[in-house]
Amino acid sequence: MQRRHFITGCACCGLLARASTLLAASQGPLPARLQQPEPGSDEGGLWSLLTREEERLKRSRFLLRDPALNAYVSGLACRLGGEHCPDIRVYLVRSPFFNASMAPNGMLQVWTGLLLRMDNEAQLAAVLGHEIGHYVCRHSLEQLRDAKSRTALGQFLGMALGAAGVGAAGSLAQLALLAGMFAYSREHEREADRIGQELVADAGYPPIEAAKVWQQLVAELKAEAEWSGDAGSRSIFFASHPDPEERSQAMASRAATMNGDTGDAATAAYARQIHGHRRQWFEDELRRRKTGETIALFERLLRQSDDGETRFFLGEAYRLRAADGDGARALGEYAAAESRSACPPEMFRSRGMLQRQAGDTAAASASFRHYLSLRPAAEDAEMIRSYLHEGL
Amino acid sequence: MSRWLLLFLVALLSGCAGMSKVGPGEVTVRDSLSVTPDDAWNQFSIGLTRKSEVWTLDGLPLDRLVFYVGIADGEALADLPQRKDRQVPKYRTTMQAHEIVEMYEVFATHDGSSFQRQKLAPAAFAGGEGFRFEFSRVRKSDELEMRGVGYAAVRGGKLYLLIFEAPRSHYYARHIGRFEALVQSARIRG
Repeated sequence: MQRRHFITGCACCGLLARASTLLAASQGPLPARLQQPEPGSDEGGLWSLLTREEERLKRSRFLLRDPALNAYVSGLACRLGGEHCPDIRVYLVRSPFFNASMAPNGMLQVWTGLLLRMDNEAQLAAVLGHEIGHYVCRHSLEQLRDAKSRTALGQFLGMALGAAGVGAAGSLAQLALLAGMFAYSREHEREADRIGQELVADAGYPPIEAAKVWQQLVAELKAEAEWSGDAGSRSIFFASHPDPEERSQAMASRAATMNGDTGDAATAAYARQIHGHRRQWFEDELRRRKTGETIALFERLLRQSDDGETRFFLGEAYRLRAADGDGARALGEYAAAESRSACPPEMFRSRGMLQRQAGDTAAASASFRHYLSLRPAAEDAEMIRSYLHEGL
Repeated sequence: MSRWLLLFLVALLSGCAGMSKVGPGEVTVRDSLSVTPDDAWNQFSIGLTRKSEVWTLDGLPLDRLVFYVGIADGEALADLPQRKDRQVPKYRTTMQAHEIVEMYEVFATHDGSSFQRQKLAPAAFAGGEGFRFEFSRVRKSDELEMRGVGYAAVRGGKLYLLIFEAPRSHYYARHIGRFEALVQSARIRG
């Protein structure tokens, strides 16, 4: 019944509507493997451009090359993709933004900012499933063929190149370009959502987790808008995306018709996989200085796992924001971090700096000495000793 | 019509993206800092703001010296495009060396570059106490591995920060000595 629903849903992809025999012949919820296009065709031209871009991406210094994490995410994409597995190539890109994209040649990029934001394996599966949905339905090709003029086609290829290339990250202007990458229509996005959720449920995860991904994102964006008045990320991200609240609601209702929240979200398994990378991702997140989003994110992660590392970084977000009352909030988080496992030694340094600023010299001195005792060879040890030497 | 276009292009190419030679000898940076380089540097006109200058020896992709001079409490080192005011870190007179580096990091990574602060230690600068830090960065635009050194001091509640950065291979080693010598000559003007 569910599969039937999927097939009728997917029939709006132009290609599959024309090639229903492919569907009938395939096993499982996805259509049969896609053939590499003829080199002389429009699609073939796009593939050769993307192949060149992929070669660049493979050499990028921003790729996360940890074999274990790559094998984990690739393995998950492979399980979801079924017989498409040999055509999907996963690249983990160090960039603190929420983003994943899949090019029509099977190049699937997942950014570390997205990995940090996933509560569990089920949520990552929902995102990968969504991207696989775009891929199997060949949405980008439809967009290509929808381009009515050469200019539009040129723009499309330019965007495809820019977005697939390693240069596309970081600045908001580049993000805007990326958001418009293959400029999927809202209908395509809804379809990819549906496919992603189907794949999540078929793999035994609770399908409600797909809805939660968007709920979480909405909560972060609202927190940022309240703190800084920045609604920019909203408009950029949603230029080509349906309203995430609407999306989330649609997925929540669909989850209710599927197996809802039953299934194993694999929360602990996911936490184990990203454990060794979290600290770097936390640091990258702090440098974005979107503190409203960052605090909402860290508070949510704390509800998942209340450990010393997460408490410390929440404290860091307050310390760096430095608004009224943030010093006290940071000190509160540092105290909580100290009493929990995995508290980084740098907590004592940060605490010392806040105590020094507040004029609490005895406490600051004790904190700095504690930091030096834990990190005697730290690259900033001389600076810390000078703070102590100045008599604070 | 075409002559106007030509004039416009000449103005654009020579003026807006222009470099002016500075040094050798004493040079005043934004009216508030003097340095005495042994060599001639090139001052990049687009890098000029009210409180900053950008200099280079071999051209901007290859080496870059940035002066931030007289940054007052509540002021930012630079503008961050498309950012709300609360998202841009501001200098505060209560900041310690670590926090000044953390503030700089935001500008150094805004384009998606990575940043790793390395050694941070007290150092003489601008005729008094200050600090020196080293960092490495992978520049997003071309993925070159960069190495950098910063010197900073606070005088009269205002921040003076000099950053030198060049690709790790060749250019850093080629010019770091000139930068260090220039730093030794730096003095804040009354």
